[in-house]
Amino acid sequence: MIFSGLPLAELLAIFGAVGVGVVVLYILKLRRRVVVVPFSPLWERILRDKEATSLFSKLKRVLSLLLQLALLALLVLALGDPRAAESLVQGRTVVVLVDASASMQAVDVSPSRLEVARGEAKKIVRGLGGADRMLVAQMDAMVTPLGPVTADTSALEREVDAVRATDTRADFPRALRFASDVLRGVPRGEIVVVSDGALGEASDATGPVHLGDARLSFVKVGSGRRNVGVTQFAVRRYPLDKNRYEVMLELTNTGDAAEDVELQLLGDGALVDLTKLRLQPGERLPRFYPQLSGASRTLEANLALADGVRDDLAVDDHAYALLPERRRARVLVVTAGNAYLDAALLLDEYLDVTDVVPAAYSKAIATGGWDAVVFDGVTPAEMPRAHALYLDPRGDTGPVKVGPALVQPGFDKVDRRHPAVRFLALDDVNVSAGHRLVPQAGDKVLGASDGGASPLLVAGDRGGYRFVALGFDVRDSDLPLRMAWPLFVVDCINWFTDEDAQYLSTFRTGEVWRIPVAGGVAQASVKLPDGTTQSVPVHEGRAVMLGEHAGFYELTAGEQATSFAASLLDASESAIAPQDAPSVDGKAAGAPEGFRMGVRREIWIYLLLAVVLLTALEWATYHRRLTV
Amino acid sequence: MGLLDVLPWRRAKRSVPAGDDEIFDDEFQRKLEYLALVSRRVFAGRLRAERRTKKSGSGVEFADHRDYQPGDDFRTLDWNVYQRFEKLLVRLFEEEEDLAIYFIVDASASMGFGDGRKLRYAKKVAAALAYVGLANLDRVSIVSTTDAISGRMPETRGKARIFKALRFLRAVRADGRTDLGDAMKTFVAQNKRRGLAVLVSDLYDPAGFEKGVNVLRYNKFDVFVVHVLDPSEGRPKLHGDVLVYDCETGDEREVTVTPKVLTRFAEAFDMHRADVERFCVTHQVPYVAASVEVPFDELILHVFRRGGFLR
Repeated sequence: MIFSGLPLAELLAIFGAVGVGVVVLYILKLRRRVVVVPFSPLWERILRDKEATSLFSKLKRVLSLLLQLALLALLVLALGDPRAAESLVQGRTVVVLVDASASMQAVDVSPSRLEVARGEAKKIVRGLGGADRMLVAQMDAMVTPLGPVTADTSALEREVDAVRATDTRADFPRALRFASDVLRGVPRGEIVVVSDGALGEASDATGPVHLGDARLSFVKVGSGRRNVGVTQFAVRRYPLDKNRYEVMLELTNTGDAAEDVELQLLGDGALVDLTKLRLQPGERLPRFYPQLSGASRTLEANLALADGVRDDLAVDDHAYALLPERRRARVLVVTAGNAYLDAALLLDEYLDVTDVVPAAYSKAIATGGWDAVVFDGVTPAEMPRAHALYLDPRGDTGPVKVGPALVQPGFDKVDRRHPAVRFLALDDVNVSAGHRLVPQAGDKVLGASDGGASPLLVAGDRGGYRFVALGFDVRDSDLPLRMAWPLFVVDCINWFTDEDAQYLSTFRTGEVWRIPVAGGVAQASVKLPDGTTQSVPVHEGRAVMLGEHAGFYELTAGEQATSFAASLLDASESAIAPQDAPSVDGKAAGAPEGFRMGVRREIWIYLLLAVVLLTALEWATYHRRLTV
Repeated sequence: MGLLDVLPWRRAKRSVPAGDDEIFDDEFQRKLEYLALVSRRVFAGRLRAERRTKKSGSGVEFADHRDYQPGDDFRTLDWNVYQRFEKLLVRLFEEEEDLAIYFIVDASASMGFGDGRKLRYAKKVAAALAYVGLANLDRVSIVSTTDAISGRMPETRGKARIFKALRFLRAVRADGRTDLGDAMKTFVAQNKRRGLAVLVSDLYDPAGFEKGVNVLRYNKFDVFVVHVLDPSEGRPKLHGDVLVYDCETGDEREVTVTPKVLTRFAEAFDMHRADVERFCVTHQVPYVAASVEVPFDELILHVFRRGGFLR
C-alpha cells in the first residue's frame, strides 16, 4: 500500500491533531438540560441499578469514541489516496517521440505521414492503462516536449494534435537522450518512436546513446519512396563583376525508378533557366550555371516531375537563395595623386570614388556619408568616423603608431584567414622601404616582415569603424604591378562594407543560424516565410535562431532590415523510403506494449463510503441511545 | 443545596404558592356533615362530646354496676336490681368526650412541585377532614411541616371554626425540605394530648418517611396516612441528556433519559408507593393513596369510607 495523496507523515500528524481534539471533546462534558424533580432518590435508585452495568456503559462510551476515531482514520486515509503498491509498479511511463522532420511531410500515405503518425500516437494514448503516464515530444532538429508527463488522455491527445512538421532533419540521438533522461529511475519506462525511420544512427559527438532500462518501441509510418529533390543549392556573384553570378545545385533521385524532371531557375520571380533532366535511381546530379545575369536579389530552384505528377515529398522540390545585395559605396580618397590607387578603384564599378587633396580633407569628410576613406601617404589629425584604409601612414594620429623605418621589408608572414588578404599572393612582393607599425591590443597583424617580428599590414577596429594600415608607400614596391594590388584594395573596401566571400546565399534548415546585424540591439524580429513574425535574440552582433522552414526571411534589427534565404538541402531527408525499426544501444525496437486492465483502484472512494456507513450507524445508535 | 441554587429561576421553582381558595362547595359541605372520623382507640377527652371515654360519667351508654357508697347520687341507684336482689347497686354510664384530631400537612417543596397541585389537594383533604371533625365536636388542630413544624393552628372545636382552619390552610406555602422524623418529634413534644394524627404528605422524605410515622406510633397517636400522589411524577416527559435537580435537597445527578430509563423510573415510582403501603399495612397504620387525578369529592365520600377512615 502506498499513498499517492498526502504523505504518511502528514497523515499521521493530521490524525494526531484531530484525534486529540475528538478525545478532548469526549472528555469534556456537555452542558446538560436542567430538570427539576420532586424527589431525586427515585432517580438515584434506578441509577444505582444502572451503575451495576456501568462497565458496559463505559464500554459503550469507549466504543462510541473508537467509532469516531475510526471515522477520522478513514477520512485521513482517504486524504492519503492509498493505492495498491503493485498498481504504480505496473504502470508504464511512456515517452512518445513523434517525428516531425521534413520527410514526415511526404504524402505517400494519405493524407500525410505526419497525420498518420498523429493517429498512431493517439492510438497509443487511448491504449494507456489506468496507472500509465505519458509524455509527448516533437522530434525534429530539436526535441520539444509538448506537455508534462501525465495520465490525462485528453490532454495528451491535444498535445499530439500540436505536433507540427518542420523542414528539418530529425535529431534522433538528442531525442533519445531526452527520453532516457525523462525515464531515468522510472520503472517500466518505454520510448515509443513514431517515425518513417529516416533517423540515422543513434549516436552523436558524445558517443552512442544508452537507454538504460527503458524499452524502445517503434511505430513505422510511410510506404512509398518516389522522390526527387534539390539537395545542394548555392549562388555567388563574381567578385570583379557583381552584375553576374553563378549557380551550383545538385539533384538527387532517392526513388527506385528513373525520373524525368523539369528544373526551373527563377531570378526575382522570373524564369532564368529551364532544363529537362533524367535521373537514374539513386543518382545525384550536380548542375552548374555560370555567367548568369538578370537577377538582382532572389533565386529559386523549382523541381517538378516531367509527367506532371508530384513526387511524394514536396518540401525538397524547392530551394531558395539570395544574392548578396549590391549597392554603390562612397569612397573618399585623400591623396596628392596616386595613379595606381585610382586604377585599382576603377575596377569596381559599384564604387563612387571622390579624390581630394589632403588640404581639402576636412571639408570633404565633414559632408559625411562615406563608406570608406583611403588615406594615401597622409594621416589626419583625427580619425574619421568611417572605415579607413591607411597607405603609408605618418605620425601618431593614426590608428596604429608608425615605428622605425624598415629597409626592404617583405611579407614573411601573412594571415590569409582575414577577408582583406584572403586569396592574395603577397609573399614575393618587393618593397624598398617602409615603416614598422605598432598595433594595439586587439588589432590583427595581417602581414609582417622580419619573420613576423615587424608588422607591416595591420587591421583592426577603432570606435566601431574598421581600418587597415599598410606600412609602406605602394609606389616604393612592385605591389601595384601585381594582381594582388587591386584585389587588396577591393577586398579591404568589401570588408569595410561587409561584402566578403563568406556570404551565405542560403542557410540550411535544422541548424542554428547566426545572422549579422548592425547596431547594438539585443533583439531582432524575423518575418518567416509564412508571413508570421517572431522575435529572436541578438548575441555578439548576430541574430540567433533555429531555422525550421525553407523560404525567404526578413530580419529587422533596429531600423536596419536584411533578408536571407533557407533551404532544406538534405539528401538524407529526401530519402523518404521508410526504414525498419532502428536498433539502439544494442536493442532492436519492438512494437509498443499494450496496457493492462484493472490496474487503477480508487480506494479513497470506498473509504468515503465506509465513512458514510459508519456515520449512519453512529447516527442510528446514538438516537436509539445504544452508544450513550 | 447545590451550586445552581444561586440561579434565580431555579430558586423560584422551589417555592410554589398554593392557590386553594376553592376548597369545597355547600353541597359537598352538607355531605361532610354526615361523616365522622373513625378512631380505633378511645382517647381521654376534656370536654363532653360525642366520643366514648374510659371514664364512667353522665353519658347515656350503660357501662357497669357497683356497690352503693355513701354520698353517691341516689338517682344512679338501680332500683330494679334492688327490687330483685335487695342489694343497692349504682349504675355506671360511659361518659362521651371530644376527640383530639391533628392534621399534619406536608408543606415541603416537593408538595408544591410543578403547579402545586399536590399541596392544593392536600389542603382540600385536610380541610374536608377538619370539617368532619369539627362537625363532630372534636378538637381539631392543623400543623404544617417541612423538616420542622412550620405552622400550627391551635386546637379548636365547633363547625364555626372551619373558617379559621381554612385561613390557616390558605396561608400554607410549599417550601423547605422534608424530614418527617424531626418534624414529628417536635410535634409530639408540643402536643401532649394523644389523639388521631392524620398525616397528609407525598412522603418524599430522603431520610425515610417511616421515622416520622414511627415517632407518632411510639407516642400513642392513632396515625392515619393520606399519601398524596401525582401519577404524572412517575411518568416524566423527559428525553436525552439532562441534569436532574432535586427541588428540596438541591442534589444533582446526570441522567441520560431513554425509554428504558423512563420505564425503570416508573417502576421505581410504583415501588415507592408500594413500599409505603406495605409499611402501613405491616404496622397497622390506615393508609389511603390520594391521587390528585381522583376527583376530590370521590376521594372523600367514597375512598375514605371504603378505607374505613370515615363512617
